Amino acid sequence: MLARRIAYRSAMFVVAITSVVVLWELYKILGPQDGGKFFGVSILPRANDTAMPHFSTMLSRYGRPEVRGSDKKIWVVVLSGAMFSLRLSLVGFFLGTTIGVGLAVLMSRYRIVQRGLLPYLVMSQTVPLIALAPLVVSWGGKLEIGSFIWPRWLSASILGTFLAFFPIAVGTLRGLASAPAAAVELMDSYAASWKQTLFKLRFPAAVPFMVPAFKLGASGAVVGVVVAEISTGLKGGIGRLIIEYAREATGDPAKVFTAVFGAAALGITMSGLVALSDVLLMRNRPKETTT
Amino acid sequence: MSALEVAGASKIFNQGTTKQVDALIDVNLTVNPGEFVSLIGPSGCGKSTLLRLIANLLEPTSGSVSVNNKTAAQARLDQDYGMAFQQAGLFDWRTVSKNIELPLELKGWDKAKREARAKEMLELVKLPEFADLYPWQLSGGMQQRIAIARALAAHPPLLLMDEPFGALDEMTREYMQGELLRICGETSTTVVFVTHSIPEAVYLSNRVVVMSPRPGRITEVIDVDLGSKRNEDTRAADGFFKSITAVREALRGTHADHAAANAIRGVEDR
Repeated sequence: MLARRIAYRSAMFVVAITSVVVLWELYKILGPQDGGKFFGVSILPRANDTAMPHFSTMLSRYGRPEVRGSDKKIWVVVLSGAMFSLRLSLVGFFLGTTIGVGLAVLMSRYRIVQRGLLPYLVMSQTVPLIALAPLVVSWGGKLEIGSFIWPRWLSASILGTFLAFFPIAVGTLRGLASAPAAAVELMDSYAASWKQTLFKLRFPAAVPFMVPAFKLGASGAVVGVVVAEISTGLKGGIGRLIIEYAREATGDPAKVFTAVFGAAALGITMSGLVALSDVLLMRNRPKETTT
Repeated sequence: MSALEVAGASKIFNQGTTKQVDALIDVNLTVNPGEFVSLIGPSGCGKSTLLRLIANLLEPTSGSVSVNNKTAAQARLDQDYGMAFQQAGLFDWRTVSKNIELPLELKGWDKAKREARAKEMLELVKLPEFADLYPWQLSGGMQQRIAIARALAAHPPLLLMDEPFGALDEMTREYMQGELLRICGETSTTVVFVTHSIPEAVYLSNRVVVMSPRPGRITEVIDVDLGSKRNEDTRAADGFFKSITAVREALRGTHADHAAANAIRGVEDR
């Protein structure tokens, strides 16, 4: 049952990727080389090799050196960049989960905290990440607690946290509140403590809400880290590679795509980790509540 | 010694506001150990409110409730009663056995003792082979039997039930009534049972408490004399029909005066 579901999902994944490749190549054959213009406004993208390199060119680019004369193949560079960003994203996701779940518990415990805090949480998400990035870097730089010195990469993780915690807090809060009134009354009739009700009723009842929230949080952490790498100029990650390679787009158009795919693979890895937890946590639940 | 004593209890919601509801006024009720008492009445008569006062899920506005000669609050802390609702309310993420163990876990019993008791309870409700299944894999009637097993797991002397068979089909319902009488007989549990069904109240009870709405109060208490051994033949006995008629007439008296007001204001009936 489980194996079949995994096999089916993997098959669908391959089909989805293949159809994107086919569409890309089809457009390259059919689309206008210099773009389609209607009344002077370009609407259709250019289909030439500079704007849309062949998929095979992108793949073969992985096998060639990053820069001319270097012995480092580009797949090694992209892979290590993706791994670097993955570590940062995991830290951001972990912190985001801790903060998000913590806030949700606090908000579900004290109605007044929920009423006071929730509007600020919603507002926090309207602040552009780009504006926040330099602030976090400069605050972090000033921070010194004993022997702890703020490493530069931590700023990028914090921005990942910033995007990750919000969906997790909101999803968990909804989940904690989803325990049926009759079940809460039952726990009351057993004179269960708040903590007992939280761990034996509210958290288990919240799982179907928390898993999709974690998925959003995981991809949020990746976006936050990649954007933070770009806007703070942090070296070593996939975000920095995208910016660097994009500058060479005219001379080496396939190069930037190698980094873009690296970033996509990073996002898929993160949500894959969460999906795995979904399968494990929901295996004994009724079918209707699995999403 | 009485199993349960309600003395002059009133419950008024939203007191002193325009939304004031007199859910219960001056209710007196004494239940003896081993007795089966049903609360019956039209919607809004406060029967569920009375059950919740006994369970200490609500505090009375005035008057007192004592269970086992303790205050209702102390009885709740000591888990002197078990409770079952219309929805079985089993936890989806726990196996049948773990659901029954829930009240014991909360009481801090160790694992071996919990498992032994869960096994014993499953045998009592005649579902021993379902221990490791999940509630959603069972039928509604089976789920309700598990809920009863959970309510009785800690061997409380008192069982409070709020329309537990209300969501079941008629055949399952009659079967469950027989099972409930057998289980309570074997465990000598005192029961307070809220229902909408006259035959159900009569079949199960030693006494039927008839209530009327607006304000919620007890209007009549009818003794049911069908003996202690009841079976399917009881449902065809003369005494059964006589008692049904008695309860029905008592209810009609309460209903006529208040039916109109009821239809207009319709207080939530849980």
